[in-house]
Amino acid sequence: MKLTSRLFLLLVFTLSFGTLFASGGEGAEVEKYDPVETIMHHIADGNEFEIVHGVNIPLPVILFAPGHGWTFGMSSMFDHGHHAVKGYLMNHGRINRVADESFPQGHVIIKDAHAIDTYKYKVDGGPIVGEETDEISKEELNEADFLLHDGKYYQLDRASAADGGLLGGGITSFYDFSITKNVFAMMLAALLLIIVFTIVAGAYKKRDGQAPTGFQGFMEPVFLFIRDEVARPMIGEQHYARFLPFIMTIFFFILFCNLLGLIPIFPGSANITGNLAVTMGLAVVVFIVTNLNGKKDYWQHVFWMPGVPVFIKPILAVVEILGLFIKPFSLMIRLFANITAGHIIILSLIGLIFVFGDSGESIGGATVGAIVGGAFTAFMNLIELLVAFLQAFIFAMLAASYIGAAVEEHDHHDEDHAVEHKHGGAYAEAVAHN
Amino acid sequence: MINFFLVDFSVIRPEIGLLFWTVVIFLLVWGILGATAFKPIQNALSVRETGIQNSIDEAKRVQAQMAQLKEDNTKLLAEAREESIRIVSDAEAYAKQRRAEAIDEAKAAAQKVSADAQRDIANMRDQAMVDLKREVGNMAIDVAEKVLRKDLKSDISQTTLVNELVKNLN
Repeated sequence: MKLTSRLFLLLVFTLSFGTLFASGGEGAEVEKYDPVETIMHHIADGNEFEIVHGVNIPLPVILFAPGHGWTFGMSSMFDHGHHAVKGYLMNHGRINRVADESFPQGHVIIKDAHAIDTYKYKVDGGPIVGEETDEISKEELNEADFLLHDGKYYQLDRASAADGGLLGGGITSFYDFSITKNVFAMMLAALLLIIVFTIVAGAYKKRDGQAPTGFQGFMEPVFLFIRDEVARPMIGEQHYARFLPFIMTIFFFILFCNLLGLIPIFPGSANITGNLAVTMGLAVVVFIVTNLNGKKDYWQHVFWMPGVPVFIKPILAVVEILGLFIKPFSLMIRLFANITAGHIIILSLIGLIFVFGDSGESIGGATVGAIVGGAFTAFMNLIELLVAFLQAFIFAMLAASYIGAAVEEHDHHDEDHAVEHKHGGAYAEAVAHN
Repeated sequence: MINFFLVDFSVIRPEIGLLFWTVVIFLLVWGILGATAFKPIQNALSVRETGIQNSIDEAKRVQAQMAQLKEDNTKLLAEAREESIRIVSDAEAYAKQRRAEAIDEAKAAAQKVSADAQRDIANMRDQAMVDLKREVGNMAIDVAEKVLRKDLKSDISQTTLVNELVKNLN
């Protein structure tokens, strides 16, 4: 009975939603639903926080263009792409810049609603527009967004990225240090972390030496788990205490960011750890911490591996030096791929509503999509909840194991011993001894 | 540049601004929480764990002590019981001996008393006999005197008497 009434409510809800969409669609021209573009837009970072379509929370904008200095403001000054300010303008939620000096500086109103579009272009020939496109589309040409303003095409630069140009980014004409959606959500996660652990630490101070209660008791098993199952076995009994705050910060920071990303409405919904810049930042910190703490034994293992024939040593040195970078690189990719994949799956399932609903034309299809997509999304969200914890745990665990390898010291290192030598720190040794 | 993706897969381009903020926010969280929360919690936990371990060790030590005490007590009790049995049996033996001695003494005393008594009786009898003999002798002399005084008033009678006496003496 209860289930039936719930299903009925869901049906009514989706039907009324479908009607809204349909009525909205009648007036304006029906925009074809593009699932891939929608999903990419939703997992992307943004300079404004979209609550529902058309309702945005403006975020602070901090821009720097070499030679043009800093630009500050709120993202609302771009009026969702209808205003250009000092050569900057909003393109699909991100700030782009017109590098062309002939583009008017100051406030510019862009009247045409479809002024921005993507074109293939020749390096010094501008965008290829019109009939030529078909002929030329076979050629390998780059694509870029162009702004049509006063009959002239202006190329739009995206903010500089640290991919070295390998993934279509690279250093462009400006840097975007804005408090974007991801930065905002990350700050929120940081604030939550600080509040939570200030309360917990306060409880430890107040109830010194007593058994934990309430919220303190809720957090303590997690804390102990990271200490006893991650830091202690991976880094080793001797050094783990020194790195525990770092491992804890990694775990809880990633966990809070992951969990905030799972909340579908403001202030969640930002795909924080599913952005390569975020995971790269974390991986870089791990890389620096690991290598700054590398002991003599660690560097010896990297550059001149003991216990192997001399002619192998240079080969191993190359492998090990590559390994130094591959380790944090794998951390970066793993977290990014897992979280982004989860977000894409959930958005795809939600997208079923619009695909089945034929972009708001078919109410029945949308209903089926809502039921099927809703059920799968609920299921997927639970898996994502698991992934949120799992990935935070794995990141912390691997970071700890890299640090463990860096600080590990070997008492004796003769050739006989090298054969049975293990790279597992104190934990592996303890296991081996048991 | 080659486009790997059909659409703008922007999350794979690590924007420098986001990278910068990530590092800044992470370092801030690490610095703040490391100093104000994680280290104090870590210390509090290790202090508590040491405390618990100490308490357990102490409890074990006390338990061992108690067991030792109990064992000692049992041993002492057994010893005391043995001692008491020994004391009682000693006492009994001593009492027996004392009784026998007392009986012997009493017997000896009684014999002595009876022997003394018999000797006294014998002595007193002898004394009595002597006294009696003397008394009787005295009485006989008195009688004889009285008789003599009365009878010896004539010569004949005297002579008769002397004869008679002489005859009797023979």
